[in-house]
Amino acid sequence: MGLMDRLRDAFGRPPAKEVAKKRLQLILKYDRAGLPPNAVEAVKEAILKALEEFPFIDTSGVNIHITESENTKGKIEIEVPVRNN
Amino acid sequence: MADKVVCITSGKGGVGKSTVTANVATALAMKGYKVVAIDADIGLRNLDLVLGLENRIVYDIVHVVEGVVPPEKALVKDKRTKNLYLLPAAQTKDKSAVKPEDLVKIVEELRDKFDFIFIDSPAGIEEGFKTAVTPADTIIVVANPEMASIRDADRVVGLCEAMQKPEPKLVINRLDPKKVARGDMLDVEDVLQVLSLDLLGVVPEDKNMVSYINRGEPAVLFEDSVAGKELRNIAERLLGKEIPIPKWTYSEGFLEKLKRLFGSE
Repeated sequence: MGLMDRLRDAFGRPPAKEVAKKRLQLILKYDRAGLPPNAVEAVKEAILKALEEFPFIDTSGVNIHITESENTKGKIEIEVPVRNN
Repeated sequence: MADKVVCITSGKGGVGKSTVTANVATALAMKGYKVVAIDADIGLRNLDLVLGLENRIVYDIVHVVEGVVPPEKALVKDKRTKNLYLLPAAQTKDKSAVKPEDLVKIVEELRDKFDFIFIDSPAGIEEGFKTAVTPADTIIVVANPEMASIRDADRVVGLCEAMQKPEPKLVINRLDPKKVARGDMLDVEDVLQVLSLDLLGVVPEDKNMVSYINRGEPAVLFEDSVAGKELRNIAERLLGKEIPIPKWTYSEGFLEKLKRLFGSE
């Protein structure tokens, strides 16, 4: 590594081990659920499309994530907020 | 002892399964326990090299499975540590030559004659891995603090669970405290946060390890080996002793940091 690379690592970027940990945590979530890495994005897209026709749903607030599950390999949880007005 | 059959596995190859097996088995034999180490990596025999026993092999595990000799007849007695025996893998056959039920039978025949039976698993998660894990009471997963190794270790843990085996214990091998201090390498806490397993030990990087293996002399034989000391501690913890595990973190001083930034290292 050259001096510029080392300076950039020292002052700008997060340490490599933090990057590794974050990446691993995400990878293992998908591995454990037996899902391909783009699964959640694909599901989210389909759900948002389906929800568009309901004006009382705030599609910008839809939250979707993988969690662990007792009975199945994994669980995809979706939060669908209803508009306030 | 209920947990006398210990399988050492990892998913990824080259992380130190055979080194950990040879050293922990040697350490227990040095303490007077009667130990046998089974090389279950059929076709890719390696454990004999770490123990320096490659010239003494007459029969191997496939001869035992084929009924050519009983298991005791195939055992190679270690040349320096009393009470230590090796059941070598075959070098010419492939993984399918030993089925899970074959290894279960061999282990059953040896069980009453030994205090500990170690099984050095092949890399991978296929048939050979399943054969190695099947007879085990205790499973040790060896992982390096490195992305591919940790991901593979997690896969292995999932497969052990699916096989209804007890949750594996973790050995972190080749942790480099200098790289950890620089923030380049995952530290012990990071690995535990990702894998959440019981930690059995942490073996630090040891510059002498290559020469120990080249000479066929396990590191635990050397009082001054840093890795050897932690490998002996792993053996003690298998015996139920509570020995604290060093975290291997030290903070880089300001001068060290400067030196690293502007120096050549």
